[in-house]
Amino acid sequence: MDAFEAALVRILPRLRRFAHALTRDAADADDLTQRAAERALKARSQWQPGTNFDAWAYRIMRNLWIDTARSRQRRDKVIAPAEEAETIGAPGDAEATAERLFLMRAMDRLPDEQREAVALVMIEGLSYAEAAEVLEVPAGTLTSRLVRGRQALAKMLGGTE
Amino acid sequence: MAEPIETPIDEAMVIAWVDGELGPEDAARAERAIAADPTLRELAETHRAMRARFADAFGGIADEPVALPSAEIVSFTDARAKRARQLWVPGAIAASLAVGLFVGQVERPAGVADRADALALAPDLAHRLDTQLSGEPGPVRVALSFRAQDGAYCRSFTATHLDGVACRTANGWSLRYAAPGSAPGGDYVQAGSDPARADAIAAMIAGEPLDAAGERAARERGWR
Repeated sequence: MDAFEAALVRILPRLRRFAHALTRDAADADDLTQRAAERALKARSQWQPGTNFDAWAYRIMRNLWIDTARSRQRRDKVIAPAEEAETIGAPGDAEATAERLFLMRAMDRLPDEQREAVALVMIEGLSYAEAAEVLEVPAGTLTSRLVRGRQALAKMLGGTE
Repeated sequence: MAEPIETPIDEAMVIAWVDGELGPEDAARAERAIAADPTLRELAETHRAMRARFADAFGGIADEPVALPSAEIVSFTDARAKRARQLWVPGAIAASLAVGLFVGQVERPAGVADRADALALAPDLAHRLDTQLSGEPGPVRVALSFRAQDGAYCRSFTATHLDGVACRTANGWSLRYAAPGSAPGGDYVQAGSDPARADAIAAMIAGEPLDAAGERAARERGWR
């Protein structure tokens, strides 16, 4: 395993966590993770050593998800959406699983651009600068999406803790 | 003496303070304002608790290791992307396919290449797919024929060293799914009994499989 692969292996668990926030579905998250890893391996020549590898990898997954969600929207127009899977692949007790599902349902109600900003900062723990780099937006755009997303979530989750 | 007048802070600044994103001066200003105002204190606590709640709920996922996709799968995925959207060669089979196809051809470089014709069937096999009807006996047996979603005619077959699904393209019969052969002389495994192949066909097929008349008509037209 070379340095590139080692860096990819190191970040894959976090990418998979990001995939859960993007897809809000455990099976879709695993699928997206595998496809993002394949794409990263394929695109490895495009990564510039010395630049932020993590931001590059997150960006690959996020762009892949945008493509997927777009084609899925087309598909869902003709095929009724499958019954929502109420299972989570990650281990953990039922309470933790229920909590995560609950938060995913809240995130469902955010616009895509707010959801990804919230996920990168609140769940992935990226700095504002890193999150803006992943999303390829100016810092001001990132913070306004983040603030609006957090305000909406706070309203939804008020008193549910 | 009057206290120095400070610009009021807004929710965005409270959130940035919670996130540790403020410079030292702004952070100090936010802290003073939050300490002095119960409403801001409550707001800061709401955002701090919410951030912690999301981090906790999702945190466990990142503790589980995730394996890299294997090199075989990646190279097949490359080949697939270049060819057709529905091409489907499960990775576990890739190695046996690469070996199986080239046994006895040691004078050539072995392996499946990343080329448009890499998965083209050899002429003898292709000829049988051109001419044979489903269910006819022989060293190659065709189980069923169908139209794929991209309009191509596809046939699922069983031979001695190779089972698979091939579709007719402008360049001949091209493999879309493959497994090691399952048609030895005696115990003939009925083509189509491979669940993975059934899944592959289900993912590719448009409508129903061809009936005998439909198959003959397609053969007349050279499977175009």
